[in-house]
Amino acid sequence: MRRFLVLLVKEERALFSSPIAYVLIAVFLLIMGYSFTLALFISHSMTLVHLFFQIFVLFLLTVPIITMRLIAEERKLRTIEVLLTSRATETQIVFAKFVASMSLIVLMLILSGAYAIVLAIYGDPDWGPIFSGYLGLVLLAAALVGVGLLTSSLTSNQIIAALLSLSAFLLLWIIDEYGYLLPDPFDSLVVNMSLSVHFKPFATGSMYLSDVAFYLSATMLSLFLSVRALAWR
Amino acid sequence: MSAPVVEVQNLIKWYGPRLAVRDVSFSVAEGEVVGLLGPNGSGKSTIFRILTGYLVPTSGSVAVAGKDATTQSLEVGYVPEDAPLYDHMRVTELLQFMAQLKGLFGRSSTHAVGTVAERLELKEVARVPIGKLSRGYRQRVAIGQALLNDPKLLIFDEPTSGLDPSQVIAIRDLIRELAGRRTVLMASHVLPEIEQIASRVMILLDGKLLTSDALALAAERQRLTVQVVGPEHLVHEAMTAVPGVRSVIVKPDSGGRHLQCLVEADHRPGVAQQLAEALVGRGLALCELGTVRPDLERIFLQLTRRSREKTA
Repeated sequence: MRRFLVLLVKEERALFSSPIAYVLIAVFLLIMGYSFTLALFISHSMTLVHLFFQIFVLFLLTVPIITMRLIAEERKLRTIEVLLTSRATETQIVFAKFVASMSLIVLMLILSGAYAIVLAIYGDPDWGPIFSGYLGLVLLAAALVGVGLLTSSLTSNQIIAALLSLSAFLLLWIIDEYGYLLPDPFDSLVVNMSLSVHFKPFATGSMYLSDVAFYLSATMLSLFLSVRALAWR
Repeated sequence: MSAPVVEVQNLIKWYGPRLAVRDVSFSVAEGEVVGLLGPNGSGKSTIFRILTGYLVPTSGSVAVAGKDATTQSLEVGYVPEDAPLYDHMRVTELLQFMAQLKGLFGRSSTHAVGTVAERLELKEVARVPIGKLSRGYRQRVAIGQALLNDPKLLIFDEPTSGLDPSQVIAIRDLIRELAGRRTVLMASHVLPEIEQIASRVMILLDGKLLTSDALALAAERQRLTVQVVGPEHLVHEAMTAVPGVRSVIVKPDSGGRHLQCLVEADHRPGVAQQLAEALVGRGLALCELGTVRPDLERIFLQLTRRSREKTA
């Protein structure tokens, strides 16, 4: 456990000492602020549903930027060799990188909570959908970071890692669009792989165990595969 | 006799379809400084990575201090080629991070970092980011992180690669000094470097261990240089008649007055004296007689040529 914490501190320092984290936070808040203000003035509704869908899309585009360097850079600079010959295990390394990346995303979500506070100041929003929306976003981010880590562990080229994860996210985003046209039972199989199908209930205030299980399974599976990819040498 | 620190048996490593290490076996005793010599791509780094537990062998066994190396051993301090380190970290920060990864926390971590920084003269650059260090200091930091938990075995992979001549000398002296009570394994493709540091030299080619003691092979024959004045055929005849002489090469020197001879002979006492007597006894003027130290380069070339001829 202590070794994991040492690795986590190293990852947090690396993440927050680079300008990428701050640029991402700034861009994220700028886009969300614009969207929130516009939607509030047009619809006059005390809800963050539209914001959650925007964040969903923004995560698909920004998570590859956060995760692309995680293991690919260590492979390229061969620092992974130093880590793995110093008794750090593959599992500790992967989980430290996962938790550090999630901390950045959770920070972004906490900062976006300012919009919920604005709603609370000027009205009486329904807190249920807001909490479920944030829970959905955290679960979605965990799955995306897991897949991003996996692609980063497969190559030493950061750009390739980013392109692979971006392609996977876009495919899993739109996979349900034409999935309904497939014959049974492939239609439900494909539709159930969609990130957006499992996210919609969270954003609109309904929570299903199956959606939680989908994101958790995707996260655990991709983390497991990342550990195996790192151990395969 | 104490158990060997490193024991490698029938080691084989395949990288996909490429055989990187071919049935290599060797052992290293406690306190030995062993050099692994071979051209680039001969399998030196692969063997080291297996010894550190970073790579898993396809077959064979590797034990470090009696423990299976594939389950990672704390007894190894590893300095990889080109010192891969985190450029954004400061020197002390990196050493503390590595100490903690190696299981040293609190006072023991601070103590280990302080000792290493002092020993490797890193105190003056303690707060400098590693990315801004010179290659020599960077290599010192890499060596420092390997020493933190005081390992029994130190492994250096091409430790002077990319350094300027003064840095090469400094790192070479440092390795010699560290060797003292530790067992050291060092890989290089630079022959004089290995020769100056190692007490035993192993030669590796295309993943195959050609000899586990090249210096002993080189020392099997003694070589002498002779400078003499006289007819070439007489000189040749006099020297080949001496018992134990295996070969004689005679060449006139650049001025044409002297003959320069290189004599290869069995290791037996009195060969030099008998050579001198043979030459003087025939009325030849002996100007100089000296011995040549064991020629690792010759052994390396002989072994690699023989191996390549066999393969062809």
